[in-house]
Amino acid sequence: MNGIQKVDTRALQTNRFSKLLSSIGIYAIAALFIVLGVVLQSMGIINNFLTTQNMMNIVDAVALLGIVAVGMAFITYSGHYADLSAPTTIALTGIVSVELLRFGFIPAIMGAVVVGLIIGIINGIVIGKFKANPIIWTLAMSYVSMGVIRFVWVNKQIYPDVITDDPFPVMLFDNIYRFRFFNAISLPLIIMLVLVVVGQFILKRTAFGAQLKLTGSAKRTAKFSGINVELMIALAFIISAFTTTIAGLAITSLSRVGAYYNGAGYDFRAVTAIVIGGMTLAGGRGSIIGVLGGTLVIGLMNNIMTLLGVGTFSQDIIRGAIFILVVGINAKTLRSMGRDDA
Amino acid sequence: MQRLYGVWGGMMRKNKLDKSKLLALGDRFRIYILFGVIFIFMSLFAPRFFNSYNLTTILRTVSMNATIALGFTIVMICGEMDLSIGRTATFAAVIALTLQKKFGYGISVPIAVLAGAGVGLLNGILVAKIKINSFIVTIGTMTILQGATYTITGGNSVSLSGDKVFAISDFLAKPLLPMLPPRVLLTILFVVVFHLFVSNSQWGRNFYMVGGNRTTAWLAGINTDRITITAFILSSTMAAVAGILFAMESSAATLNMGDNSLMYVVSATIIGGTAMSGGKGGILRSVVAVLSLEMLYTGTILFGFGNEVKIFISGLILALVVLYEAYASYKHEKTIGQRAVLLEELAQAKEKI
Repeated sequence: MNGIQKVDTRALQTNRFSKLLSSIGIYAIAALFIVLGVVLQSMGIINNFLTTQNMMNIVDAVALLGIVAVGMAFITYSGHYADLSAPTTIALTGIVSVELLRFGFIPAIMGAVVVGLIIGIINGIVIGKFKANPIIWTLAMSYVSMGVIRFVWVNKQIYPDVITDDPFPVMLFDNIYRFRFFNAISLPLIIMLVLVVVGQFILKRTAFGAQLKLTGSAKRTAKFSGINVELMIALAFIISAFTTTIAGLAITSLSRVGAYYNGAGYDFRAVTAIVIGGMTLAGGRGSIIGVLGGTLVIGLMNNIMTLLGVGTFSQDIIRGAIFILVVGINAKTLRSMGRDDA
Repeated sequence: MQRLYGVWGGMMRKNKLDKSKLLALGDRFRIYILFGVIFIFMSLFAPRFFNSYNLTTILRTVSMNATIALGFTIVMICGEMDLSIGRTATFAAVIALTLQKKFGYGISVPIAVLAGAGVGLLNGILVAKIKINSFIVTIGTMTILQGATYTITGGNSVSLSGDKVFAISDFLAKPLLPMLPPRVLLTILFVVVFHLFVSNSQWGRNFYMVGGNRTTAWLAGINTDRITITAFILSSTMAAVAGILFAMESSAATLNMGDNSLMYVVSATIIGGTAMSGGKGGILRSVVAVLSLEMLYTGTILFGFGNEVKIFISGLILALVVLYEAYASYKHEKTIGQRAVLLEELAQAKEKI
């Protein structure tokens, strides 16, 4: 009896701020940003916030980032922080798909997916099996993919319509990003929504999700209760590489060029979205719905800052500061509540 | 009979001990052996490698990354990671050159060094006090620093002109002693000071203790937080100094000048035998490893390969090094507590008694 009473009472408290940040609360912040945009527009400080075109811009940007973030969230959930090889995976899969467009549309897609999965499997084996540090390994992996791009394509940019004379596959490739149902809903948006629903289902309703949660929050316990921890971690990295590949195809279709600089910055933006969305870097906490909210906040924030005339690079400063602030507050509150020893 | 067996066994043990001693010795001098092998190979086979001009160029090029590696090695010994080194170098260089236009080097350089130290202080406090993982913190500061660098310069590289500035550039670059321009001499001075500091002082030992086992270090009365923060400040400051000296020598700073340093210094430090888990390593070995890598890369260029090949090879080397370290610790973890290992430990313990 005594043992039970000795449970640290701090562990039973809930903290308002961390609750606000977790899951549903993030949508309130997104709504606040919309209100902020509307207020700024009514005061005449910014123009064109509440227009159809601008809203569509926000949604399109959110869709691309969301596709990356949903996959990467699995890695964060498994307690392995992030996949820093995402930008070069985007670039590499994009350039491979453009190169293979000469054999038709289907081979191009298949080629990109195969390359993406190879990167994911390598990451998964090295980090899952050999327990390499995820950040430093994915960083190394990003340098390797960058090296492959530089080695094979020697600083060249390749264009779909130059690669092949056949207009049909080029048209299909261009439409990965540009096709819109009812002239409004873009294909990446639908892909992202499907990924969110499927991801949320996998994370919360399947045995795999539960095992991943235990792996993320208590790896040793997970291992001793018979979970194949190595496989779980590897699968998280493969899922991330897969969704990054989809984003890579969409981004390359958007820019109509395969080049090594495609996708730069997507790693950090995705991690920020994940963290703001209430998924803690310690692993095992948060949800995909929250990540979607985080992505939405990042998209709205970027849009308002751009409309305010804040330069792209100054936005980096703000984004970085917010990232550190949220991670710090998260770590601090979790620790003061006695829920985390990290 | 039993006695004979005992003598025999003793001899066996003695042999085994010798072998393991030899292995340990080899492991300890691994990086110096590697250095010698690369140097001899390149001197024999790479065209135009072994002449004073090329060797001076190598020493000059290596100065920046060697200086960065000094502080970074301390952070690694502490068991932490500083991914912001490259961007800190660029940031400080840009500050030094931008402010030079108004105030001259006399004021701009100290400010830039202080800015670098400030970055380190921020990193250290976030890691030690707020207890965020150092990988995560330094990714954040990396992004902030990039934004700051681009904002300061408006997205263009900074270059200076004028007799005074060029006089300083020339002074830094022109050999004072045979093959040794002042910038290289300065780097050698830094290396000596840091080597003595880390291997011979109380502070230096504390870095190893904190990296080896933080709790034990704390129980032994070491202020672990202060040690960690110091390590980060040293790392960022040396990165800033390296960036500033590089920019002063060329009177210009490009916005991606420090981007390759991260990959370079991380691979070199791990090759030099500083473990990512902390508590192991040394300043001198990291510097020798940086030198070995630079010779390797210069060699590939001299063999006639382009810059793409260099990028490809350096990425591959980092990946292989990280993979090797992960695999080594994986194997070590697997054999811990196994019968063979335990028996060996028992034999060694008996020998001591």
